[in-house]
Amino acid sequence: MKLLEPAVSTHRARPEGRLRRWSSRRGVALAAVAAWLATGVYIVGADQQAVVTRFGKVVEPRAMPGIHYSLPWPVDRVTKLKVRQLQRLIIGGEVGDAALGRSDPLASQFLTGDQNLIHMRVAVQYSVGVPADYLFRAQDTARLVGAAVEAELAHQVAARDVDAVLTTDKAAIQEQVRAAAQRLLDAYGIGVVLAGVNIESVAPPAEAADAFREVAGARADAARIVNEAEGYAGDVVPRARGQAHEMLEAAQAYKLRRINQAMGEAARFAEITREYDRAGAVHSHRLYVEAMEQILPKIRKLIVDKRGELDLTIIRKGAAAAPVER
Amino acid sequence: MNDWKPYRRYLLAALAAVLLLGAWLTFYAVRETEFVLVTRFGKPVATVTEPGLHAKWFFERARYFDRRLRLYNPRPSEFLTRDKKNLLAECYAVWRIEDPKRFVETVGDPLAAEMRLHDIIWSALAASIGTHELEAIVAPAAAAVEVQDLLDQVTAFTDRQALERYGLRVIDVRIKRLNLPEQNKQSVYARMRAERERIARQYRAEGEEQALKIRAEADREREEILSAAYREAEKLKGEGDAEATRIYSQAYSRNPQLLKLLRTLESYKKIFADNTTAILSSDSELLKILVEGERAAR
Repeated sequence: MKLLEPAVSTHRARPEGRLRRWSSRRGVALAAVAAWLATGVYIVGADQQAVVTRFGKVVEPRAMPGIHYSLPWPVDRVTKLKVRQLQRLIIGGEVGDAALGRSDPLASQFLTGDQNLIHMRVAVQYSVGVPADYLFRAQDTARLVGAAVEAELAHQVAARDVDAVLTTDKAAIQEQVRAAAQRLLDAYGIGVVLAGVNIESVAPPAEAADAFREVAGARADAARIVNEAEGYAGDVVPRARGQAHEMLEAAQAYKLRRINQAMGEAARFAEITREYDRAGAVHSHRLYVEAMEQILPKIRKLIVDKRGELDLTIIRKGAAAAPVER
Repeated sequence: MNDWKPYRRYLLAALAAVLLLGAWLTFYAVRETEFVLVTRFGKPVATVTEPGLHAKWFFERARYFDRRLRLYNPRPSEFLTRDKKNLLAECYAVWRIEDPKRFVETVGDPLAAEMRLHDIIWSALAASIGTHELEAIVAPAAAAVEVQDLLDQVTAFTDRQALERYGLRVIDVRIKRLNLPEQNKQSVYARMRAERERIARQYRAEGEEQALKIRAEADREREEILSAAYREAEKLKGEGDAEATRIYSQAYSRNPQLLKLLRTLESYKKIFADNTTAILSSDSELLKILVEGERAAR
């Protein structure tokens, strides 16, 4: 009995134990599989986009922000990209850098259409446009972007003369370079969007810088001379207009005065004439006497008898006496 | 029957290992960035360009090639234009492996490929630039079309050659920098200075010209305004005088004797000033009565 029991019990216990072991193993295995599958969950951040590849082939070219599921490693692989982040490149260098020997002097030198040399420094900003292309199409995207922009820049600069590059055409160059380089990059299909091409500095070479400054000075001088002349014109012409106005007003006044005087005198004469016509000789005598009344009190008078001899000495006496008389 | 039972788990493990190894040797993944060349004992048998999971015989080998675009950017080199002027051009080429089989048979590695590319590009560029004058390549406005065409031709030529010979695809050849050779620079700077001096003088002269014009115009305008005003003023004065004369004559013509009398008396008032001494005859009209008594008034 005692011999049998363990045998039986072992016989009976064995499948039970195995089952228990089996079930616990299965549980562990299931948990492991579940955990493995759970690693397929991934989160794409707000500023990100993701690309999913299955055994190297793109199955999800653009996963937008949010929570997503892919098959776990090693089947699927998720690559996240910060698509909004702008990346920056510098093309060329400062004149100062070249002078200090910090960079290759040729790096910043460009040839203009009129065969002048100028130094330029251009900043390029770009971001990811098509994530899958950006990730898989080029070995070194940044260098490719730099090369494309530089080629277009050289091209645009070679199509203009130095004055245009230095002054008026900066904005046009920036925009045209950006557009043309974008076309190039689109043709390469590397999924890049150029946000901006910015000419940070553009300057003539040190060897000719003073001559360029001299031109700026000359331009300022010319502007000053023209300004002065305009000032002169602005002074002379209004003054002349004023004088002209004055002359015209004076002439107008003269005309009116003459006419008014004439009309006044004519009216006066007309009045007198009317009286004269009525009274005739009497009136004329009266006019005469009145005039004498006005004239004679003011002057010295000598009355002589025409029948007597005229003694001219009285004139002298009269002259001596005159102040006393008055 | 029961003999192999204790070894069953080992057998199973071994079988699993063999299967795993078989799977490992059979299946391979091709990524987006790659080509795979399947070789059988070194001999290429297939080119796989489609990314994803693929299978081959376990005795075959998969060789991976990067299919991404590469940038080849050699040092600047000098070219001679048709008018025998030196031009320093830095170009770049965008290329990738197109045909891995041809590539591995002819060049094998990217560095060697770039050397071959360099030879093709250099000769094509030299030939193209040699048929153009410097002014056609570096010139305002004209450059736009000429250089574009030139580079398109070079690209097409290079692409054809490279694909045929080495299994490489050349997507683009472009000049990324134009410059003048170092030994020419001093004369270029001298020319630039001379040009600037000329322009400075021109600016000054043009300023002077404009200023003189403005001044002369202002003077002319002043004369114009003043003379026109003078003309108008004289006309107005004349009108006044004429009108006054007309009024006078109209009024005076009614009685000329009276006018004579009045005007004469008026002028007496003006002629005789304080210091005048008048000798009056006693038989004058005014004094007759004074001398001869009231009889004279009759």
